[in-house]
Amino acid sequence: MLVYGFINGTIYALIALGFSITFGVSRVANFAHGGLYILGGALTWYSLVKLGLPYFLSAILAVVAVGFLGALIYRVLLIRLRGLELSEVITTFAVGIVILELLRSMGLMGYEYRLPLFVEGSVDIFGVPVGIQRIIIVVVGAALLLALYLFVHHTKVGLAFRGVAQEEHTALSVGINPDRVSLLSLSIGSMICVISAVFILPLGTISVDDGYDVLIKALAVCIIGGLESTIGVIAASFIIGYIEVLTATYISSSYTMVVALASMLFILLVKPSGLFGKSKEIEERV
Amino acid sequence: MSTFFIRITVFVLAVFLLVPAMSNAASPAKGEPIIIGMPSSLKSLEASEALKAIKLAAEEINAKGGVKVGNAVRLLKVEEMETRDMEPGVPISDALLAIEKLFLEKKPHAVVLGPSRSEVLLAAMDLYAQYKMVSINVAMTPKFIEKYTQNPEKYKYCFRMGDARYVVGYLTKVMEKLKQDFGFTKVYIVVQDVLWSTAIGDGMKGWFEKNKWEVKGYDKYPTGASDFSSTMMKAKQSGAQVIVPIFDMHNSGILVQQWKEMKVPAIMAGFISPLMGSKAWTTFGDKIEGIINVVFQAGNIPLKKYEPSTKFYEAYKKRWGEQQSGHMPSEAYDSVYLLVQAIERAGSLDPDKLVKELEKTDFVGSIGRIKFKDHQFIFGDDPKTSAIAVAYQWKKGGRRVPVFPNSIAEERIDKPSSMK
Repeated sequence: MLVYGFINGTIYALIALGFSITFGVSRVANFAHGGLYILGGALTWYSLVKLGLPYFLSAILAVVAVGFLGALIYRVLLIRLRGLELSEVITTFAVGIVILELLRSMGLMGYEYRLPLFVEGSVDIFGVPVGIQRIIIVVVGAALLLALYLFVHHTKVGLAFRGVAQEEHTALSVGINPDRVSLLSLSIGSMICVISAVFILPLGTISVDDGYDVLIKALAVCIIGGLESTIGVIAASFIIGYIEVLTATYISSSYTMVVALASMLFILLVKPSGLFGKSKEIEERV
Repeated sequence: MSTFFIRITVFVLAVFLLVPAMSNAASPAKGEPIIIGMPSSLKSLEASEALKAIKLAAEEINAKGGVKVGNAVRLLKVEEMETRDMEPGVPISDALLAIEKLFLEKKPHAVVLGPSRSEVLLAAMDLYAQYKMVSINVAMTPKFIEKYTQNPEKYKYCFRMGDARYVVGYLTKVMEKLKQDFGFTKVYIVVQDVLWSTAIGDGMKGWFEKNKWEVKGYDKYPTGASDFSSTMMKAKQSGAQVIVPIFDMHNSGILVQQWKEMKVPAIMAGFISPLMGSKAWTTFGDKIEGIINVVFQAGNIPLKKYEPSTKFYEAYKKRWGEQQSGHMPSEAYDSVYLLVQAIERAGSLDPDKLVKELEKTDFVGSIGRIKFKDHQFIFGDDPKTSAIAVAYQWKKGGRRVPVFPNSIAEERIDKPSSMK
């Protein structure tokens, strides 16, 4: 239970990280997140199976392509809607649906679309057999978090990210272009989304319906943790991961998703900013 | 010269006008086509393959000259309508609107397959009654019979080729075989939390308890769940020898992967959609070796001991490529043939006459011999006398080997490697 709760928590964190980064910097709630996730998986599968490219190269190409698409979404659509939050949500949601339904109409249905496991087999952890792919996911999750920490704290672009995230107008006054930073945040968020897809999707098959589930899960994690808080996202991921396993073990597996979504509603009621969110904290105090 | 040219022109025109007229005179006149409506969730794998099977049947019948309706011969035309009823969040009312749109715009003479989701079929029965639309459906809910028998006169236009109860019956026989061959008596049930699969799960649980099996656990997972480790751990700790999974969601492939990774010493025997088709071995590799899966109708898997199933399977493969779903294509294909036979016997497209003829159906199809009782097809163990399902086991090298019923079994059941 401890082991699988931890693994599930890491999977949630990976799924939500891209969404959180984008929102944290640009304040764009990217509802195309699920669409980009499946698109990344589908592109990797296509390059690997249909074009016969090596796995690593297929994954890199998918990450770059979807990263470019994320930037394009910002440059073509979102730049005109900056500040209109509802319009941003509707637009990105529409983009997500277009991506997913296009993939479906192009034939992405059925059970044959599957990315192979990186390493086959399983090992025992505290007496519990765990698939090696799941261990890889945990390692990748930790590595990605460390890389992101180093990026935002020790690179010029990362510091610009933090500047825009903290106060956009002040950042502008010191020569940081918020539009460029937001474009980059959407692009990087999309890339992280595909990285998570490449590691998580081999556990099952690639399905369009997963795109909608991924968006809901990312939203649940971000709302519980605090939309713009990376620490919050990590904490919320493990909370949901463990709640799910505990629910499945001691209550009923049919309530696993209900409990996760109910937690989101509960947090919205008692602390609308999320556990570590700050965006509405002052309003809440008032 | 000009007179010669005019004569040649007149001759050519005469040839062009007369030849088609003569050829028409040689074959019976073709009237308006008979429209077969197919309202279903076309983006689901099962319905999309069923549509191909329906088109295949229509093409075969048309190639043989068409359907004899009284003195006229008419061709078949298939009109599909997307109901989206298998997609998450689509309300029943939306699916019903799509069905009604098909009736009003395409004016079908009969419907085959119908909606996939049980709740939608139950609601659509009133629509079929209202429009006097003859329909041969496949959705699996046991409540179809309940609703039909409450008012047979009203719902007489509805027929059905499928029922979750028959799947339960089949699975119980597979369990008896496992008990007989290996002495297994401890079971763990895990199902998808939707109407049809919980109906099977509940039915199985009741049967196990009545037949002195120990039910070590019964878990239900919501559609979209992607971690089944708690079930696998509980199954392992409880000493379950058989795991009965009932799933048609794509993530159920993860269940199988975790069963293998966690080395659960139990045989898995049930229904898992992603493992149904021949390509599952390519997708999942030897992780699925030893798993027993139930194909709801013969024909969706070729059977060496029942030729019509192989004939359909091969015809489908030649026309559309290998099918991947475990239910719908073969019964949809047979539906068209038995509908056409009923039309020819009735000599009319009148729905009331068609109903009477369909009730008399006795057809040797790809799923076995088809007869109706209370507008529900009769199911059994021998394709020569009734429709059958097929339990097969995945064996080394990616072979799908039929193991039950005995009338079509090709090999014995093997224990999976985790139990050896």
